[in-house]
Amino acid sequence: MPEIVSRTLRLSSPPDTVDTVQDLLATIWAQTPRLDPADRMAAELSIVELTANVIEHANRGQAIRFTLTVVVSDDRIEATATDEGSVEHVDLSDRSMPDQWSERGRGLPIMQALNDSVEHRRVDGVNYWTVVRARRSPSSKRGRKVMPSISISGVIDEMARQRALEDMGILDTAPEERFDRVTRLARQLFGVETAAVNFIDGDRQWAKSVSGAGPVEMTREASMCTVTIQSNEPLVVADMTADPRYSGKVVPGLLAFYAGFPLYAPGGERIGAFCVYDSTPRHFSVRETEMLRDLAGWVQQELTVSQELSRASEVQQGLLPQQLLSMPGWQIGGVCIPARAVGGDFYDWYPVGEGAALTLADAMGKGIGASIIAATVRAVLRSAARFADVAGAIDAASAALTIDLNNAGVFVTAFHARLDMDSGELSYVDAGHGLSIIARADGSSERLRSHAPPLGVDPETEWPLQTAILEPGDTLIVVSDGVLDLYDGSLRSLDNLVALALLAKDPWEIIEAIRARARGTSSDDVTMLIARRDDAR
Amino acid sequence: MEITVVHHPFGVAEVTVGGRLNMVTAARMREAIESAIDSNHPNVAVDLSQVVFLDSSGLGALVSGLKAVRASGGDLRLVRPAEQAQLVLELTNMGSVLKSYDTVGDAFPHA
Repeated sequence: MPEIVSRTLRLSSPPDTVDTVQDLLATIWAQTPRLDPADRMAAELSIVELTANVIEHANRGQAIRFTLTVVVSDDRIEATATDEGSVEHVDLSDRSMPDQWSERGRGLPIMQALNDSVEHRRVDGVNYWTVVRARRSPSSKRGRKVMPSISISGVIDEMARQRALEDMGILDTAPEERFDRVTRLARQLFGVETAAVNFIDGDRQWAKSVSGAGPVEMTREASMCTVTIQSNEPLVVADMTADPRYSGKVVPGLLAFYAGFPLYAPGGERIGAFCVYDSTPRHFSVRETEMLRDLAGWVQQELTVSQELSRASEVQQGLLPQQLLSMPGWQIGGVCIPARAVGGDFYDWYPVGEGAALTLADAMGKGIGASIIAATVRAVLRSAARFADVAGAIDAASAALTIDLNNAGVFVTAFHARLDMDSGELSYVDAGHGLSIIARADGSSERLRSHAPPLGVDPETEWPLQTAILEPGDTLIVVSDGVLDLYDGSLRSLDNLVALALLAKDPWEIIEAIRARARGTSSDDVTMLIARRDDAR
Repeated sequence: MEITVVHHPFGVAEVTVGGRLNMVTAARMREAIESAIDSNHPNVAVDLSQVVFLDSSGLGALVSGLKAVRASGGDLRLVRPAEQAQLVLELTNMGSVLKSYDTVGDAFPHA
């Protein structure tokens, strides 16, 4: 009869000590009467040494909480201790016993002498210690066996897998046509009832795309894809009812045939599967398996694109000003919400002399192409504006960009200004943007009109330098056209912003209001830059 | 852990330990040896026949005691270590430094 006993103990030291652990071990030994006394003695000593090590060293003498799991199975005794102590590196290269006169340092050598494997790993700030001892069998002569721990590698692989999946940012996102199109096609191609892109998330399975009758979510226990992700091979089960390994997962009317390929995170972790299934058992030919592989490859490619996009998105958000502009008497804020992972809008600010340079630009189009142009415009304006006046900066940007913009067949609208902190004078150039307005303290408003073309239309353009004064209590609002779309899409939307500015006590209240409006509904990039001059009071 | 100390002539202290000699009880072991030295009994015979468990911390206490008694002109010897304690002594190559005897009389014959 197989003998497997497993016990887990949560400990807190103080008050728990190695005695607590030895009391636990006593109950385990009572349940494993067939355990060889030599194995028992070795295991108890090793586990006590392991515990003492955690208590004494893992947290540099501070109080510590840890978990100890002991498993006695047919072939081994395995113990895992996990703690969140601060010690990060442990040298486990084979230790020899210290000098006979030493009072310390025998714990690890004892553990190594008595066990077939002693491991320590640190993952996400958690230490995992494992000792594994192969059980003595009456017939075998005892020699050191290769005995990698089961629990420690399993736990760590699963943690890495889960983290990789979460990093992809795909969980619980809305359905997307680029995945739906593949599941739809698979369903038609193989004539099955369901095709799905499933991810294994903790103890559930979640589908990014389902075509057919299958559920979006189910328990991991019931999932077939959780079996698929255990290897790199496809899993094809023609008749689940006839296979004792899978018959427990049959769902009448839904699942009796299954074929799936694992899907991977960028680091190679198996995070889910692309699968087809049916309520009726069926044959799945080698050719069909190959076709399924191709479709899985397609899904994989889409996943990789998502991942690259989200990286690009991080890069782009990183280009926005990270620091608040500290300018006495002024409050300056901005927001940029791309419609896709990346967008063609940006805003920028930086201190210049006794004031600041402010920029908001919108590259025609959305997505990656527009974002590359936007990043270029930002870089050129930044480098030009440090040395030249406002109009000069736009001229320099135009000169530097015209060829690029022509080649790409796009243009860029831009508002670029310099604000004098003391006088409130705003010197600005508007290159075809025209979406700037001053909300005056008295409730009136003034649009900063533009008659000049955008960058990239005509390199001979001379953009006029214009000025306006921001009095105490006035608010300058510059937006991209995506903000207008949050209202009725017309220029009248600017009036809504003026009203918002009068009600809000600071720029961040306006930004929060716009952010809330943009949530989930915006089809265009939403970008806004606000400068408010404090009241004279 | 239970610990009893019996003083014999010629500066011999017989320290009998029962139960677990581990991280928790090591300090008491050291204290018992210290007090034997303080009462002019630097020849310490540690009876380990009742010890059900000895680990590296317990062993560390014995080594520390051995150094202390030697510094006071005495010695520390073991009497009939139980099976598990014997295993630990062998495993750690401590048998030649912490020598074992059958009785207190064997450990310190002049006592």
